[in-house]
Amino acid sequence: MSAVNIWEKMLNVDRRWIFLGIGIVSIVPFLIGFGMPITTTTEVEGIFNYMNELGPDDAIFIGFDFAPGTQAENMPMAVAVMRHAFHNHTSVFMTAYVPLGKGMAVSALDYVTNPKTDGYYERVLFEDWADYREAGITKKDELTAAWESDGNVLSEGAVGWVFEGRDYVLLGYLPLFHLVILGMTGSIETQFPVDYHGNSIGEMPILMEHKSLRDVDLAVTTSGSSACVAWITYAREKIGLPIAFGVTGVMATDYFPYIQSGQIVGQMGGLRGAAEYEVLLKENGITETTDKAFTGMDVQSASHIFIILLIVMGNIAFFAGGFHKQTRLKGRR
Amino acid sequence: MYDTIGIWVGAFFTLAIYSFLYKENPVYRLAEHLVVGISLGYTMVLICNTVILPKLLVPLFAGNHWILIIPGLLGLLYITRFIPSIAWLSRYPIAFIMGTGMGIGFPLTMKAYVLRQLEAAMIPLYASGMPWYEVFGNIVMIFGTLAALIYFFFSKPHKGLFFGTGSKVGIWVIMLGFGATFGFTVMGRISLLIGRIQYLLGDWLHVIE
Repeated sequence: MSAVNIWEKMLNVDRRWIFLGIGIVSIVPFLIGFGMPITTTTEVEGIFNYMNELGPDDAIFIGFDFAPGTQAENMPMAVAVMRHAFHNHTSVFMTAYVPLGKGMAVSALDYVTNPKTDGYYERVLFEDWADYREAGITKKDELTAAWESDGNVLSEGAVGWVFEGRDYVLLGYLPLFHLVILGMTGSIETQFPVDYHGNSIGEMPILMEHKSLRDVDLAVTTSGSSACVAWITYAREKIGLPIAFGVTGVMATDYFPYIQSGQIVGQMGGLRGAAEYEVLLKENGITETTDKAFTGMDVQSASHIFIILLIVMGNIAFFAGGFHKQTRLKGRR
Repeated sequence: MYDTIGIWVGAFFTLAIYSFLYKENPVYRLAEHLVVGISLGYTMVLICNTVILPKLLVPLFAGNHWILIIPGLLGLLYITRFIPSIAWLSRYPIAFIMGTGMGIGFPLTMKAYVLRQLEAAMIPLYASGMPWYEVFGNIVMIFGTLAALIYFFFSKPHKGLFFGTGSKVGIWVIMLGFGATFGFTVMGRISLLIGRIQYLLGDWLHVIE
């Protein structure tokens, strides 16, 4: 076998071996766990710091503007922001720009309120605290105190209560959502008279205090498509609503100019962005542990090293084999 | 029980989709067709339940919102695309959507995409008290933007100091942008794989937490 053949074999390696290699380097770090450190960037810190300034009188929108195809990247971002808001008692409106985003919102809420999740929040459904509303108890601290004084005790592992209609409301999906955003700049209730469960949102304290997007403090759009830009166009430019992006890695570079122009307060780019937010939550004592995005970053690093090695090897084979002098390679390449 | 069945179904279809990496096979095609079919079916039911029923049919049959007949009929005109002789009628709802979309969106889009970005590019190269790295960043941003714009200016041949050198620098700037995008794309694709592996090893096999 001549030397040239070895280089040519390297360039023509069956791609299934590469897939197998990627598969192995993606599984092993999960089992071993390197725990590589993650530094945070100013883009993600921008969102975190803005969120950290918000309190019980404020409200945010989380746009689940993605489908299951990008769930791995977008879901950890949405979950991290939701945890942050719940910790600060900031009210959360949840919407979906795409039909399948509604299911994503439900999944995120289920995850954050699932007893199997570390540091979960115990959910109280809208109908379960009707008596308190009728008694005029709607402020978060008063409501929690009244709720607990009636014998309700947080389960083991839970870090707080979240009341549907007080701390969060799942509004869901509507078609032509950019027009819905535009409509919500005037009134949220005209666009969503009822929530996901069919409850009248006009009766909810969250809506009484935040009637339109003008009364909202931030919209975080977690998006797998250009849907996120609609929030800038129809909310930021019309009423000046601060916007934050949580976008997939593929899209991240497209939206950096919006940070520089001041149109968004920050951006989480891909799984890395979500992992950074998880690190900030932990470092600031908001959560005790990091979550799925952080766990995935070991795999991300290992995969990147493997891909870099393949690129280097491919280039070595290309030049050492003298293929750079040929105008046409075998195999019609 | 239902959760367990759901997890096993999810694991089966994940593996079915990844079986394509070895070679195309009937199990992969089954999974692919099911994704398309279920997504479409789900979306149709969702739109029916969130729009057609509560925003059109219920108020219409309640008898106090007769004005809704107009958008209802306009929407029905889309279906005429299936009848070639009257397919032209479908142009009316399309024209309505296009017209309102342009009318509502154009001023705000112009502001968001063009004016704000122009404004952000009009920055001083240097101001007193500005750290050196910020000055350097401003220079790179302004001259990089100009160079990339020169590359896309085709009314003059790309020769000479201004157009020739400018377009060459522009290519480098654009390539740097593509490189960053490619890097993020690799990260994004691996992230999707990570999500599936977490599902398979965690939710399904319980090997990891």
